[in-house]
Amino acid sequence: MDLLLEGFQQALTPTNLLFACLGVILGTAVGVLPGIGPAMALALLLPVTYSVGPDSAIIMFAGVYYGGMYGGSTTSILLNTPGESSSVVTALEGNKMAKRGRAAQALATAAIGSFIAGTIGTVLLWVLTPRVSDLVVKLGAPSYFALMLLSFIAVTTVLGSSRLRGFIALFLGLAIGLVGTQTGQARLTFGDAKLADGIDVVVVAVAIFAVGEALWVAAHLRRKPLEIIPVGQPWMGKQDWKRSWKPWLRGTAYGFPFGALPAGGAEMPTFLSYVTEKRLTNHPEEFGKGAIEGVAGPEAANNASAAGTMLPLLTLGLPTTATAAIMLSALTSYGIQPGPLLMENESDLVWALLASLLIANTLLLVINLPLAPLWAKLLRIPRPQLYAGILFFACLGAYTVNFQAFDLALLLLFGVLGFAMRRFGIPVLPLIVGVILGPKMEGQLTEALAISGGDVSTLWSEPVAVVVYSVIGLLLTAVAVNGLRRPAPAAPVTTEEKELVER
Amino acid sequence: MSIVVAYSADTYGRAALDHAVRLARKDDVRLVVVNATRGDSLVDPRYAGDADIAAVQADLEADGLEVAVRHDVVPDVADAVLAAAQEEAADLIVVGIRHRSPVGKLLLGSVAQRVILDATCPVLAVKP
Amino acid sequence: MSTHVHTREPGEPRLVDKAQYGMAAFLVVAGGYVLLDALGLDDGFADQPVQPYAVPYIVGAVLVLLGVLLGVATARGDLPESDEGEDIDLTQGTDVVTVAMLAAVLVANLALINFLGWAITGALLFVGATRALGSRTLLRDVGVGVALSVGSWYAFYVGLGVPIPAGILDGVL
Repeated sequence: MDLLLEGFQQALTPTNLLFACLGVILGTAVGVLPGIGPAMALALLLPVTYSVGPDSAIIMFAGVYYGGMYGGSTTSILLNTPGESSSVVTALEGNKMAKRGRAAQALATAAIGSFIAGTIGTVLLWVLTPRVSDLVVKLGAPSYFALMLLSFIAVTTVLGSSRLRGFIALFLGLAIGLVGTQTGQARLTFGDAKLADGIDVVVVAVAIFAVGEALWVAAHLRRKPLEIIPVGQPWMGKQDWKRSWKPWLRGTAYGFPFGALPAGGAEMPTFLSYVTEKRLTNHPEEFGKGAIEGVAGPEAANNASAAGTMLPLLTLGLPTTATAAIMLSALTSYGIQPGPLLMENESDLVWALLASLLIANTLLLVINLPLAPLWAKLLRIPRPQLYAGILFFACLGAYTVNFQAFDLALLLLFGVLGFAMRRFGIPVLPLIVGVILGPKMEGQLTEALAISGGDVSTLWSEPVAVVVYSVIGLLLTAVAVNGLRRPAPAAPVTTEEKELVER
Repeated sequence: MSIVVAYSADTYGRAALDHAVRLARKDDVRLVVVNATRGDSLVDPRYAGDADIAAVQADLEADGLEVAVRHDVVPDVADAVLAAAQEEAADLIVVGIRHRSPVGKLLLGSVAQRVILDATCPVLAVKP
Repeated sequence: MSTHVHTREPGEPRLVDKAQYGMAAFLVVAGGYVLLDALGLDDGFADQPVQPYAVPYIVGAVLVLLGVLLGVATARGDLPESDEGEDIDLTQGTDVVTVAMLAAVLVANLALINFLGWAITGALLFVGATRALGSRTLLRDVGVGVALSVGSWYAFYVGLGVPIPAGILDGVL
């Protein structure tokens, strides 16, 4: 408790409060803007970590993360264009509500639901992070090696529709992670001293997320403007509150555990929450026409899963979403190793972060409820200027790593790779996870074998490792049964699934 | 004989349309409503939705006017208005104008301004 | 949640995405290079139980395998499910010209940055990119571009204490 209060003290200093505000505003803006998600925004913000203290940067990043989640729901509701896969479900009922003239209520239930889910999620983090840290601190390198392997397998097999492409992304990422001399010998450096330290994650992340996306959008620019539903101040009536509070809580219950699982993400819980609300509602006739429960539940699930993501990130150093992967690389760039020792070595920082999550969440509600009409105006920014701006900040970010034109060349190279990946439907997340975790995994393997004196059986000498390997085995069996190339069509294709599939 | 009106889904376009309708009715000529956008931002509030423009057309036709609507995404809005005037052999273009500061004029290319300067027929500039 | 399953009517000609062979070839070449590079590595130190070439061998071999698999899948009519987004219209073909122009702008930026400095090339980058993407408001773009590049230069130099090289404007800024 004292630690938490100290965390609040650190998070509430004027500087850090300013960064939290900045993060929330930036996050909401990028969430609203087409083509930029929180992962890209964080990648573009990574250069800030060179000179701002770790506490301020992490606090700002937390604000961007939560803000981006909320901003995405605004466009889903007002425009029916879910920018993030996690807000696809929100658009289903949210846009219909808006079309029926209930945009204000849809935005309000999304904002308040996000706040409640985020708050509960943050409190759960306060309770769970120290306990899980105590547990995992006993784990040795073999267990870590197994966990990283699990997160590789999970990220490639659970997400996306093509396993083959998931593995392609993962191994491309691992290959990029090999570059450098960390093993004492130059690997894949093309004899160039500039590559000796490896390829900076900032360059890869910015290139894949920002440059790749900008090029991809440029190649397929939508020309017809979308119809936006005018919006006033969000508010909710008594009836709306009555119908919203249960879905908020249920959504939170779905979101947090899924967020904490490797490759859990936000898609599954938002979808499950939607289906549950549809079954439990007292107004089944409204579903499909704009039922408030269908916005409240998934939005809560969405933000709760964002909170859940922080648990494996902080305690194990395992990122489960693209955004978390970028946060991990930001921490690493401070020389901070997220993982079991983080709680011991950097407990001030962790508690400041945990406290700031609550602050970011509160700011989000305070700032966004009144500002919703203003955010909608952001959508008028012309696309040429928007994407030119993205490229501008991408180059700035890559250049400030070392002030070398060479990094800009790498940026372009990986940007083209990012373009190709989007063209061929290769997911981005496994690549980033591969780049970040690949070298760490090699390190854990080396450490495990060094301790055991080269005896390979050490890898399954810890109970946790054995459990993890069984889970991996189950996952792989499931994949093998479903066929390597694509998953079997989901067995009972219900109407809402079809709706989702067809969008 | 026809009147071309540059319509935008705001008070300026509304004002222009009202005047154009009055003149078209007085002279009993065909009215061409042009509502175009460059489509370079996700949302263009001046571009009317499909349902809205259909409602405008239905209203005018119910009034007994002969109405043609050009509702399109174009490379340049002013060019679209001028082209419509050319093709329809318009003898009047009606545009809505808004107040602009000198700096605003410098930075923002105005559709109304281009139409006024480049049109070959008279242009009626309407303020709401 | 968008699991498109491309079903093909019997008798309909098999659709093959030929460009995907290029991606497959790239994977084979990349994997091959990783293997080649690993061959040139020496044994590690005595305290290195994992040889420096062990992981590259695995990664390279799997990349080659994945490239072959992708090639086979392509030949069997596997179509990629291109990335969708709120600003993306996949109904039209790829706009190669715009992408090439953007790439050219990026190349110009990296070629000129050491000489001209970020404050100038940044503005050029912004203006060039807006032009390539079809903006027609040149004056405004130049204004915004200069404000962004000079502003970001000062923000990093003064605000964050990161001295971005000034290029030929050294001493002016």
